[in-house]
Amino acid sequence: MENDAKVIPIQSAPYHLSRQAGEAENMLDHIVDDFPDNPQSMAYFYDLFRRVYCHGDEVKHEGMLVGTTCIQAPEELIYAFGATPMRLCNGSYHYDQKGADFMPAKSCSLVKATLGMLNSDNVIPRIGKPDLVVNPTTCDQKKKSSVMIEDMGYAVYDLEFPNVKESEASRVYWQRSVRQFTARLRELTGKKLTRKNLQAAMAKTSRAQAAFRKLHNFRRKSPSLILGKDAFLVTNAYFFDDIERWTDAVEKLNEELAQRDQSGFKAVQSKAPRVLFTGSPPIFPNLKLPLLIEEAGGVVVTDETCSANRMLYDMTAVDEWMVNDMVDSLADKYLKPCTCPIFTRNDDRRRRLLDLVKDFNADGVVYQAFAGCQVYEMEYRSVAEEFNKAGIPMLYIETDYSLDDKGQLSTRIEAFLESLKNRKKHRA
Amino acid sequence: MNYFAGIDVGSTAIKVAVVDEQGSIAGVHVTPSGSLFHKNSTEALSNLLSKLGLKREDVRYLIATGYGRKLFKEADDSISEITANAIGAFEAGKAYGGVRTIINIGGQDSKAIQIDSNGHVVNFAMNDKCAAGTGRFLDVAARNLELDLEELGDCHFQGSGAPLTINSTCTVFAESEIIGLLAKGHGKAEIIAGIHYSIASRTVRLAKRVGIEDRVYFDGGPALNKGLVAAIQDELGRELVVPEHPQTTTAFGAAMLARSEYLDEQRLEPA
Repeated sequence: MENDAKVIPIQSAPYHLSRQAGEAENMLDHIVDDFPDNPQSMAYFYDLFRRVYCHGDEVKHEGMLVGTTCIQAPEELIYAFGATPMRLCNGSYHYDQKGADFMPAKSCSLVKATLGMLNSDNVIPRIGKPDLVVNPTTCDQKKKSSVMIEDMGYAVYDLEFPNVKESEASRVYWQRSVRQFTARLRELTGKKLTRKNLQAAMAKTSRAQAAFRKLHNFRRKSPSLILGKDAFLVTNAYFFDDIERWTDAVEKLNEELAQRDQSGFKAVQSKAPRVLFTGSPPIFPNLKLPLLIEEAGGVVVTDETCSANRMLYDMTAVDEWMVNDMVDSLADKYLKPCTCPIFTRNDDRRRRLLDLVKDFNADGVVYQAFAGCQVYEMEYRSVAEEFNKAGIPMLYIETDYSLDDKGQLSTRIEAFLESLKNRKKHRA
Repeated sequence: MNYFAGIDVGSTAIKVAVVDEQGSIAGVHVTPSGSLFHKNSTEALSNLLSKLGLKREDVRYLIATGYGRKLFKEADDSISEITANAIGAFEAGKAYGGVRTIINIGGQDSKAIQIDSNGHVVNFAMNDKCAAGTGRFLDVAARNLELDLEELGDCHFQGSGAPLTINSTCTVFAESEIIGLLAKGHGKAEIIAGIHYSIASRTVRLAKRVGIEDRVYFDGGPALNKGLVAAIQDELGRELVVPEHPQTTTAFGAAMLARSEYLDEQRLEPA
């Protein structure tokens, strides 16, 4: 009867002693303790990450839980059906290693980490099992993970997304796709989409967006009132935090920044090089690059990434407040202003980057591409050319979630910041 | 007399340079990094100072650079080795008619830097996290071939056949490739030339990424290897400027920066 030998399960360690918790704790301590003058109202966010990522506290939600793997899934619709959206994109190196089983060796850390997290017993943020995972068909790696997520036992919905942004055919296709998604949500929740519910959901999101925009505008100030590492943490919290509580906390932070502004407070030295951050998104605990920039005396003043600015900046413009028109307007918001590199052309992204450099008075650009994220790697060329023409220095960094290249990266970042300072000095 | 020092705490060697108020080199010193970065750095500095008959107080400004720059707290300031390398090569390159492109191969990284006519960094590229095509690669190869590092350069020219192709740029894979070639009975010289060409083509690709302008300056420990210099020149299609002390260019740059920082501060101080 040797074949019947039973596998004896081992007792897994409590969450707060796991490697994921350790990774999160190290990063959070670094974010909080190694920088002086953190805004007091950041305590809400530090505490939130401490509870959720380091202690493994559960994140509560209302109604059905709908996980999303990309910002192209319209969250207003999910709220309108009384469900809670939760962004699943993950930034943990330990989940990245676990997710490596599913993807080829050279694939994006973000996708691997998300898969690794979904396949783990210790899903963090601890959200319980999503009732549905919405996977927009954007980049190839996300597209191909649908089946794998399904194999893990989740219900997955492929939200069809076009590759060409400019064409009318794409717009119509995407509007239809969003309407179909509405039908799927109706089936899931057993509820009906009404004008009132959708209006309330849109109001919820736009209040959050208004708070974000205000925070974003404070970052135009020179010298800066807040560091980029804190701003990234705030937008990262939007992935899983209760939206109303999040908005209240951001408004409180905004009040403090207004006070800082009035009292002439400086979060950085007045000569600190101002950096625009673009490319693959920094997601906690992987804030490696923004932190390296700010440790070296620079400051991230704005970004063009889908974990921050691109996720929250663009508002919905509704023509007719009838439910079908509202859904179409929502669809437009998720397609037209999007600057994701998965599209055939990237004129909008390049234009937006140049605008951001001007509006936020950035001295240079740091472009992060996760090794294996082909679309960002490929767009590097055209973006670099655009900046070169405009005389704006850019540092391109290919990296992943591991910390083993920190030494070399810090040298490159310091040298880049030194050259930005030098440029400023000799121009003045 | 006031002196200024730069200390380059590298992955393989610690380099110290001292310059006087005119910016001429008073002395340089190179010693292995070992495992005790801090202790060895402090010793390297005091060794050079005593050799020059100087006291610590004579050094008015000290700038640390290199991989271990943050560990050396005795320094007045620290700067990345890319900026320090650029300053050092710009100053040292003046004797050769000025340089605008710098190739540096160190113990665990390689860099290409483009500078403008004032010596400011315009653009740079650096190898990613792996040690392919760096000094470490030569180290491993020399060990496989039972040669001293110093012998590699001369051996490069002793082959009777064409350089062999080493396909792998990964240090670990290249090691097994070298063993494979030895097992097939190939001569050491041809293998060494092959290794040099493999590093050269990788380095030249890095340099092309930043753009090659004007005269090209080559520094770092491996620049002492004449075979490697020949291979890079061949791949590049032009002659390289190799300074007298290629290992200490970066430390020299840090010392020159220390000097100008000190002079700037003096100028700002009320008389």
